[in-house]
Amino acid sequence: MSAVPIPVIQLLQVLTVALGAPGVTGVTARVEARLQGRRGPRVLQPYYDLAKLFRKEALAPEQASWFFLAAPLIAVTCYLTIPLLIPVLTSYGLPLGYMGDILGGGFLLSLASFVVATAALETGSPYAQLGSSRAKTFSAITEPVVLFVVFTVALLTGTDLPYALAATVRSSAGQIIRPAHLLAAAALFMVILHETGRIPVETHTGTNEFGMIEEARAFEHSGPYFALLKWGSGLKQLILFTILADVFVAPWGLASTQRAGAVGLAIVALLAKACAVGCVVAVIDNSFAKLRLFKITEFVSGAFLLAVLGVFTLYLGGG
Amino acid sequence: MDPVRAPGVYAGVANVIAAVMLLLEFGMLRQALVRDQVRLYMAQSTLISVLAIVIAADRNLPDLYALAALSAALKVVAVPLVLRRLLPRSHADGVAGSQTLSPASAVLAGIVLAAIGFFCFGAMQIHGTAGGTGGKSTAPATALSIAGAMMLVAFCLMIVRRDVASQAIGFFSVENAISLTALVVASGLPLILETAFLFDLLVAVVVFGMLIRAHHARAESLSTADLTRLRG
Repeated sequence: MSAVPIPVIQLLQVLTVALGAPGVTGVTARVEARLQGRRGPRVLQPYYDLAKLFRKEALAPEQASWFFLAAPLIAVTCYLTIPLLIPVLTSYGLPLGYMGDILGGGFLLSLASFVVATAALETGSPYAQLGSSRAKTFSAITEPVVLFVVFTVALLTGTDLPYALAATVRSSAGQIIRPAHLLAAAALFMVILHETGRIPVETHTGTNEFGMIEEARAFEHSGPYFALLKWGSGLKQLILFTILADVFVAPWGLASTQRAGAVGLAIVALLAKACAVGCVVAVIDNSFAKLRLFKITEFVSGAFLLAVLGVFTLYLGGG
Repeated sequence: MDPVRAPGVYAGVANVIAAVMLLLEFGMLRQALVRDQVRLYMAQSTLISVLAIVIAADRNLPDLYALAALSAALKVVAVPLVLRRLLPRSHADGVAGSQTLSPASAVLAGIVLAAIGFFCFGAMQIHGTAGGTGGKSTAPATALSIAGAMMLVAFCLMIVRRDVASQAIGFFSVENAISLTALVVASGLPLILETAFLFDLLVAVVVFGMLIRAHHARAESLSTADLTRLRG
């Protein structure tokens, strides 16, 4: 079978994430609806939503500056850059994969969320501002958790490259079952629930503005710009799921060669893994209640506990 | 740089079980209701029996199977049962406002204590003898540090709570931490000694039960805050 050139694989990483993200959102929404006894929207619904929004006209508040309209574009650009840095399809590092480490990916994620929050502040709408203020407050308290997860990775591999951790996890069963790895993965999962606005933190389907955090920020955007924001949150979700699955929990099924068959299989495997994570998230969504706003610190302190214990067992305990 | 070498599957399993026990200890620390604390204690005791079975299988120590069964019967069934029966009906859920710290602060205090525990036990450099006949592997060092951390967190639980029932559970989980240490460092300990430790726990249960009952009869509550007035 023919070999796929490296630049094409690199492009495929971005395209898989870009085109797969609405699908993963659709599957998750469908599973969630089935668990609640509803029939649910079709899996392709997010694509139709995006297509509809892209055809609509765009309106902006009178006082808002150019930044209001630029923010969705910057955010999506950030999200489309990250798949270059993490193992999406291949188990070997691609040329551009080493232009940033885990922290680089983290910076891009925070830059995207920062520009969206700033754009929400431009509008003067109280709910959008409330949402961005809350989003920034809570992302500031989850930051230490992410840092400790990165420390665990650094202590385990001696680097902070996602490819290195995935290779370490693949290397032996002992690396999977050590407490530091499991604790860090669990902490990362809790952070992902928080970052994607899932149930213990936020109801992502709710229409009650007072409970909203991330969702409220896009209130004033419309048309293609709103579509970009929605697509962006789908991209962010798929990127975080990919990091959890391909780096921490299940770095198997990645292509180890350039053969077309292996790369094609890796695309299917990635989407299947992301949908599996989505199903777990949907089950959690249906089995817990949303926390009160001021109880979110307790949720985050739980994640912090896991991440810190991960570093302790490794650095002070030697395991 | 090469990845840090993993301690192997057996030690990994032992360490993970110990880590989950420590997490359950933190769960008890932040759980408000005594009923749920008893449930977490049961889960923790189940895990220590599982750990005993794992170590028994790895090191060829048939004694430990008996110990696992005995400790499951005592700590998973008997102690929680007695504890639930002893709690006065009106206080089955525990005392309102028994937490002196908010859950998040209590967890942070627990993390600091756990760090001290990890640091101290790590500095001691204890490598337990494997014991038994099939002992190829040495004691998992991480599990030992975790046991130290667990002990301190259990003490923290006893300190930050104001009701007798939570303090009793904190005391019982200190015993769990000690069993964990014993299992990890000296799994070849004669069965009779391990059993003696278990019966120590029974004595503690009876004493705590009498204290809970006596205190409730005198003060109509389980809160130790009522005792401050006793100062001469």
